[in-house]
Amino acid sequence: MSGLTLATISHSFSGQRVLDTVSLVIRPGELVALVGPSGCGKSTLAAIAGGIVKPDQGRILRQYQRHGMVFQQWRLLPWASARDNIAYPLTLGKLPRAQITERTKAAAQAVALLPEDLDKLPAQLSGGMRARVAIARALVVEPEFLIFDEPFAALDPALRRRMQDLVLSLAKSRGFGGLFITHDLYEAARLSHRIAVMDRQGKGILGSLVPPGTPGARSEAQIFDFTQDARNDPLLHDLVNVDERAIALDCACDTLGFQRCC
Amino acid sequence: MPSDASLTARRAEWAEMLPILAARAALRFGPPALGIALFLAAWQAAHWHYGAFILPSPWQALLAVWATLSSASGWAALGATFGRVGLALGLSGLIGGGLGLVAGYLWFARATLAPVATILLGMPATAWVILTMIWFGPSHGSILFTISIVVGPILYIGTVDAVLTRDRRLEDMAASFGASWWARFRSIALRQILSSLGPVFGIALALGFKVAIMAELVTNVAGLGAQMARARAHMDIDLALANVALAVAGLVIIEHLVIRPFQTRLGAWKRGAA
Repeated sequence: MSGLTLATISHSFSGQRVLDTVSLVIRPGELVALVGPSGCGKSTLAAIAGGIVKPDQGRILRQYQRHGMVFQQWRLLPWASARDNIAYPLTLGKLPRAQITERTKAAAQAVALLPEDLDKLPAQLSGGMRARVAIARALVVEPEFLIFDEPFAALDPALRRRMQDLVLSLAKSRGFGGLFITHDLYEAARLSHRIAVMDRQGKGILGSLVPPGTPGARSEAQIFDFTQDARNDPLLHDLVNVDERAIALDCACDTLGFQRCC
Repeated sequence: MPSDASLTARRAEWAEMLPILAARAALRFGPPALGIALFLAAWQAAHWHYGAFILPSPWQALLAVWATLSSASGWAALGATFGRVGLALGLSGLIGGGLGLVAGYLWFARATLAPVATILLGMPATAWVILTMIWFGPSHGSILFTISIVVGPILYIGTVDAVLTRDRRLEDMAASFGASWWARFRSIALRQILSSLGPVFGIALALGFKVAIMAELVTNVAGLGAQMARARAHMDIDLALANVALAVAGLVIIEHLVIRPFQTRLGAWKRGAA
């Protein structure tokens, strides 16, 4: 069981409501992509799902023991080596050192990190390698559910595609469910079982789109056709025709973290 | 035993590397050495112009330093000043740093303490010396208090700034993995705060020395400052310069033995490790 239910979630920052009775159900083993224009509260919802932010109202029902989270800009500890970054979640518990080492090694292998890169600091790694470290850090806790908050937004298209392939292969081999926040409709169609569309002002989920087939088994033509058709769907009107002047809160304030951001 | 061929190859390798190493060393140490040489040259020129009574030569000052270091009283004065600065820095680190941590996290404490810090920072160090002399008399405690009250607000403000400018996204990351508040503070926030405090400690140390010597000079309590007061009374310019040189040398040594390694250990990642 690895489902997640967010029921009538509402949340405000500094008196400004960013989420208003948002409900989302993710079935066990389902990977749901959440799309919506900038400033609609996607990252806040991810933070609430990840236990970072406690919502003002609403209920969260987690049908799993452990979750992992992969963030936008990866959030690696800049003073710690790649190995220590991957091991970080395990150091928070009381696991024996040998077990931490073993699980760290396994997580690094799962994302195809080279052993010689494990001793490097994040500043010494390329963007793609940092993304791999961040994914390995999420995997090291052996999660049943993964939350991705626009993890590949800063990567170039080729690298982004490689990272998407990595997520697809890991999801297939480990069978985890998850929530994948993205702006990119193509990425959503490639990775998810279902695409949930969020209201421009965070007033709930407008509806869902289901790409044909299953993630990893879809052809490029199927994904292309689906995204082309979806662009004309009224559900995605705000995503496709976004007007940044209409956004109430500036979502480029990620440097200060969720609590101070939408 | 290495063969002749390998020895020749090693010599050739060294012959190739030596000019490169020498050039690197010249680039690294050359400009600071030039700066020191220019300073000493200007000092020597001033000595020739004004005479030994007004300004002894660098060599005379060096001899006076040697004389001070050869006597037990010289070491006692050095120890007294350094000990006071160390103790006062520890005290102000505990109080200023501790309050800075609290104020960094609690808006109300920050807002309440902000005007107090501004007032304390605005107070001239000499005013504190006079006040503490009146309050506590010319004693070891009055000098400790003076250094602590001058340095404490700087450490307070540095700590508040370090808390406020830390990368909170890293703490959010830790929270997503279930880290408690204490675990987030210990493993993420404290690391960033300490790395930001390195330069502040450097400034506090330098200021602490200046205030200590000034307070010792005014109160005439044993230390480098009291030695300078004695030099002034006897018009012994050599001894005065020797004490200044000792204070500067001590500051440089402590900075390189304590502050710089601390900064390197905790703040290397900020300067980029690529």
